Amino acid sequence: MRVEYRDRFSELEPLLSHVEKPSRYIDHEWGALSSPDAQHRVCLIYPDVYEVGLPNQGIAILYNVLNQQEGESCERSYVPWVDMADAMRAAGVPLLSLEGAAPVASFDIVGLHVPHEMAATNYLEALDLAGIPILAAERGEDDPIVIAGGPSVYNPEPIASFFDAMLIGEGEEHIVEVALEHRRLRDAGASRSEIVRALAKIPGTYVPSLYEVCHEGPCTRHGYTVPRAGEDVPSVVYKRVVRDFGATDPLSQSVVPFAQLVHDRLSIEILRGCARGCRFCQAGITYRPVRERTADQVVSAVTRGLARTGYDEVSLTSLSTTDHSCCSQILSRLNRRLDDTGISVSIPSQRLDSFGVDMALEVAGEKKGGLTFAPEAGSQRLRDIINKNVTEDDLERAARAAFEAGWRRMKLYFMMGLPGETDDDIVAIAQLAERVVEIAHEVVPKGQRGGISVSISVSVFIPKAQTPFQWCGQLDDAEVKRRQKLLVSSVTSRQVRVHYHDADTSLIEAALSRCGRDFVPVIVGAWKRGARFDAWTEQFDLGIWEQAAQEAGIDLREVSQETFGLEDRLPWEHVSPGVAPGFLQREWRRALEGKTTSDCTRTSCTGCGICPTLGAKNILVGERGE
Amino acid sequence: MVSEQALFRLRVRYVKRGRLRYLGHLEVLHTIERIVRRAGLPYAVTQGFSPHMRVSFSSALPVGTASRCEWFDLMLTEYVPAPRALEALQSAAPLDLAAQEAAYIDVRSESLTAFIVRATYEVSIEFTTDVEPCALNRAISTVRERKALDYRRGRKSKRLDLERTLADVSVTWNDARTATIALETRLDNDGAMRPELFIAACDLLLAGEDYLGDPPRLDIGPYDYRTIKRVVVERVAQEGERPDGTAVYPIRCADARA
Repeated sequence: MRVEYRDRFSELEPLLSHVEKPSRYIDHEWGALSSPDAQHRVCLIYPDVYEVGLPNQGIAILYNVLNQQEGESCERSYVPWVDMADAMRAAGVPLLSLEGAAPVASFDIVGLHVPHEMAATNYLEALDLAGIPILAAERGEDDPIVIAGGPSVYNPEPIASFFDAMLIGEGEEHIVEVALEHRRLRDAGASRSEIVRALAKIPGTYVPSLYEVCHEGPCTRHGYTVPRAGEDVPSVVYKRVVRDFGATDPLSQSVVPFAQLVHDRLSIEILRGCARGCRFCQAGITYRPVRERTADQVVSAVTRGLARTGYDEVSLTSLSTTDHSCCSQILSRLNRRLDDTGISVSIPSQRLDSFGVDMALEVAGEKKGGLTFAPEAGSQRLRDIINKNVTEDDLERAARAAFEAGWRRMKLYFMMGLPGETDDDIVAIAQLAERVVEIAHEVVPKGQRGGISVSISVSVFIPKAQTPFQWCGQLDDAEVKRRQKLLVSSVTSRQVRVHYHDADTSLIEAALSRCGRDFVPVIVGAWKRGARFDAWTEQFDLGIWEQAAQEAGIDLREVSQETFGLEDRLPWEHVSPGVAPGFLQREWRRALEGKTTSDCTRTSCTGCGICPTLGAKNILVGERGE
Repeated sequence: MVSEQALFRLRVRYVKRGRLRYLGHLEVLHTIERIVRRAGLPYAVTQGFSPHMRVSFSSALPVGTASRCEWFDLMLTEYVPAPRALEALQSAAPLDLAAQEAAYIDVRSESLTAFIVRATYEVSIEFTTDVEPCALNRAISTVRERKALDYRRGRKSKRLDLERTLADVSVTWNDARTATIALETRLDNDGAMRPELFIAACDLLLAGEDYLGDPPRLDIGPYDYRTIKRVVVERVAQEGERPDGTAVYPIRCADARA
């Protein structure tokens, strides 16, 4: 018998006064949907705490479309923070959905969002708390079908054994097809294995149990994944692209939380995809093609959304908002409309040129906190290798414009450990930051120079699947630490502050990004030893992962640092965002030669192969400037 | 720009109950602001670098404590009949945090935090076993006679002055295990009564222990009670006071402008 769907809040309530932030668990938010008497139920889980998960736009979109379906009800759940998880285990309370406070195990489908690699142990934490076997192979007929989807599915193998099916690509149409098909099969009395085989027929659906890992021919130590003999499933699962992005409702959020979130605001996705072609960037490949919404659509969605939610901030989201061909028009129309309301507009990041500063100025009003730019690499040579098409001049102009406009604090994002990086490139990061301070001193009036501050934040480069750098190994963590020291010692100005990412976390992230199904036992072993919330620095413990890897016979450094051969078959090649393998190889070669590749929304097609493969194309609503 | 004279000050009473009593004070503040914006009321905003809604609240309620008498004052740039404003607020709020009454007061009236000096709490207690009424009375008297309650907040030791903050205590028994304790309290800048702290002190005495100690045994909670199975604390009144010591209700204290 399936666990019963019923309200069990009364079992949770006594725990509330003993945990931090009880508002994470109480539901009853404004705008929560779901219908408790529906014929078919889906519970979507974000693999982190409520305040991190609630703002997620992907879940908001799917929550909306599922709840609009006749007979379907979609509820949400999040992973209880460690205090609550421990209290729930001690009290024998299973993971509950938010809206109905019903056991997650009572749902027909449980969907886990896959936001990034470091969420791996939290899938197990959520499933275990729910009382659902953590491995798909161990689930019985009464267990829900566990699906997964999200931005980080492009190397599904390290987490493949946890899910009955993985949805690759854009989910707004896909998840509805999966839910309806599952309902039909359930009502027809289909068995679990019949259900997953039928789901595998829905385009974009990867059912790991119908595939196996093969080591024949040239391949990495992790092998590559092929359909099991006799299974009629595609050898490559291509990502889904929504039929007409412009026709979808830009206003996806309905739930207004009580708790204060990491991103506590209305979000409107004004465009999808980015074609700038930075070679390290996975999203830059996996979100293509580029599709813009019209200015009218954005402005009306903002107006409706603010009236519906009552937020005092709206963020215009995308991978590169200032690239929208009507960005300037949209911002000035919104500013006029929101004048004297105390409601502000924000954009997630600034383009590194004077246009970026103009747009930042549009949204900042009188309040000028810090301005954030991402040059990614310190030297022009290295920026050319990674195809970050930003010149020294762009940077100087942007900095000058920002300080002239009144900003005093600037944050610069860089990566360390990029292919071809030398000590000179590290020193160049420090020099660049100091050049920015110099510009600030030229521009800022004498009395205000004390307020000048430039902070540089340096993450460790992680080679990601489906990018031109997917063959690269990660830089040795000891070497990362040496270069971090070199950077710190290269900075002389007291107005430059250096922050860098923890090399230990990056090591695990790289292993999770590059391994195959052979890494499943490491994740399970780490979770069994207590690893959870690995994305939280204070929770992360490298020692646990090292023990788990050792037990599984895997050397973490070896697997994250080894270079793959261009001729090798890769662990993730059976799941594709539509990019032509030849394009990635060509980009890799151009990187080695220091040749840049242009943005196809500004020039002509660069041949990534995504449009023809997926039957989609770039849709711009205006002309994009340089 | 609107001059102060052209503004209207709406005073609103709302509840905090059910699951929403687990909201923290800041969470309530933000939610009320969102309710006001959803209600479409013509709220005034502050001038300056970071404009925000001109709204002010009565003092914080601890997480987990319910209330039928929380208050906020909202500045409006246009006059909206109070019943209509109330209706708009109600339709934009969850029931457990909904506005109950609204009236205009003089824009120059003193702030809610200055005005409110009395708060009444009702504490519903379910004991684990039957309790002799005189045992509870003894515990209450003992705590009150000591005149102050020492407790910890993090690593700091704090002292709550009971003489000043606790005016009256009365107990009503429903049966041998359940009672309602009414606490008449006083609040000012120097502090306010914390009903749960008082109950925790009584609980230890009822269990035959004592809460005195150095550092103090009591902290700000949550508590693992010895003799109590369940406690629900509700703030049932917040009032001002006339010089003669009689109570004044927050929206009858000033001339209603409507």
